[in-house]
Amino acid sequence: MLRIAWRNLLHERVRMLVSTGGVALSVLLIFFMNGVFAGSEEHAVAYMQNQPAELWLMQAGVENLHMSTSLLPPDALARARQVDGVREATGLLNAGGALELGEEPAYSYLFAVDEDAPFGQAWEMAVGDPDPGLRELVIDVALARRYGLEIGDTVTVLGRALTIAGLSKETFGIATSISWVNKAALSSLIGVPTGADSYILVQLEPDADKEAVAHALQEAVPEANVLTREAFIASDQEMIRQMGADIIRAMTLVAYVVGLLVVGLTIYTATVERAREYAVLKALGAQSGQLMRAVFAQALLSSVLGFGAGVILAVVAAGLVGRLLPEMLVLVRPEEVARQAPVILAVTALAALLPLSRVLRLDPMVVFRT
Amino acid sequence: MNTNDHVLDLRHVSKVYGSGHTAVTAADHVSLRVRRGEIVLIMGPSGSGKTTLLSMAGLLLRPTEGQILLNGHDAGRLNQRQLAGLRLHSIGFVFQAYNLLGALTARENVEVVLNIAGVKGKIARRRAIELLEMLGLGHRLEHKPADLSGGEKQRVAIARALANNPPLILADEPTGNLDSKTGQEVMELLCCGLGRDQGRAIVIVTHNDRLRQIADRVLWLEDGRLSESGGQGGQSVVQAASLHN
Repeated sequence: MLRIAWRNLLHERVRMLVSTGGVALSVLLIFFMNGVFAGSEEHAVAYMQNQPAELWLMQAGVENLHMSTSLLPPDALARARQVDGVREATGLLNAGGALELGEEPAYSYLFAVDEDAPFGQAWEMAVGDPDPGLRELVIDVALARRYGLEIGDTVTVLGRALTIAGLSKETFGIATSISWVNKAALSSLIGVPTGADSYILVQLEPDADKEAVAHALQEAVPEANVLTREAFIASDQEMIRQMGADIIRAMTLVAYVVGLLVVGLTIYTATVERAREYAVLKALGAQSGQLMRAVFAQALLSSVLGFGAGVILAVVAAGLVGRLLPEMLVLVRPEEVARQAPVILAVTALAALLPLSRVLRLDPMVVFRT
Repeated sequence: MNTNDHVLDLRHVSKVYGSGHTAVTAADHVSLRVRRGEIVLIMGPSGSGKTTLLSMAGLLLRPTEGQILLNGHDAGRLNQRQLAGLRLHSIGFVFQAYNLLGALTARENVEVVLNIAGVKGKIARRRAIELLEMLGLGHRLEHKPADLSGGEKQRVAIARALANNPPLILADEPTGNLDSKTGQEVMELLCCGLGRDQGRAIVIVTHNDRLRQIADRVLWLEDGRLSESGGQGGQSVVQAASLHN
């Protein structure tokens, strides 16, 4: 029966293309949407992942870097540095701000660390200085290209004109964009006391016990919430997931429905057109189970081919998007492919139910009609 | 005569479509016994009930009343699954429209009924090739129905009908789409070489008067009633005892 399914599929090349193409497009849509979402997540936590800080301090009650406001006392950094097991600590001041780049302002997170900070700056520079001076800023190279900006050009941020001193890499995503400004300048722009930080990034001594240091930091800076990097990243990813989950879920559902309809309709049409042949098999003595297997096999073959083609298309599309739109990271992860495969196959099985019922109701006496 | 010699035994079989004043009787208390190796021709005008009779004999249609015994099995006592199994192993069908599967090659069309019966792989392949070669289609094994002539298609259909070595062949207008020469050749293969000589019973429903020559018995069906018509061409003629009514 598998042979009949396979041959029926190959016999009708156009239908096979429509069927597998429909599934492939649905799969592409699913992976692309999930890929964009996964890419956004990756972009959003890139700063945490690319700093050597294993522990993060933030205002009590705060658990996120994004969509949060955190402010620690000006002496918190000094207290944190005194804790045993702390190798280095950097104070990060951040705020949201609009960069006036064109007709519409571009929203960006403004990050600022002390000029002598051991880390906390942009982790990879395309060109220029990662430590902006008082009237300078660092923006992402992709953002600069989009607006035709270069080193030395001026951008107005929070009402102040700043000169581009450097261009960072991998800091511009569709959900998150990071620009670096001078810490003293940012303090005065947002009106916080000089020396105050939003977050403190803590690098540990190589042999330090992370939990013990976290506990000691909590005691030294009781007004802070101390999180490990992993917990901090997980917390931000969870928040982003919650923000985008409904949209992604809706789009994925649309893709599933499209796939279901495409496979269902093509298999149904193929089955109706081959109804006489199924009736012949029934007349010759095929059992209902055998006919069911043929119809299911045809639907599954369409689905497997379409799934494979869809994954390939998604990988190609992700690569193309990465080249054309650097701010858009589309991740097609193997674990996502493994997670979606059984769902797509289940959808296909569902799509085969309608043609199946038609086959089971076939009157084998049609074999006598000419 | 021993009843075990009868492959097919229809006993007072009737089929009525509809009910009340719109009821149509397609078969009216038909009785027919067909022995192993016997070739029975059923003729009659259009609408006389030939297809209904063949469908009931082929276990595709349950009679309104009466009993059908196939190879000793009472069809009325069997469920759909058992009927399908009995059809698969006991009946070979040859249709006017060939009814080959368009996506499969000639060999695969024969193999498919073997596969349904659980015969797989090389054994099924060898059997299919053997049958097609016997029918002169050794050079057309891998051709699809669309590439075969009418006569070739019908020979593939005959090979398929014989694949599971059934004791009964039911043929519905097997020469209906063939020219007279090809029709003659096909019927000789079906009836003489692979039919009667191998002990198979063959029931042929046809309008083709020339087929009288190869029949052991010729029956006439009209208004759902079966009557003896008499054979022609020097073949043995039906025995009255074969007709219950």
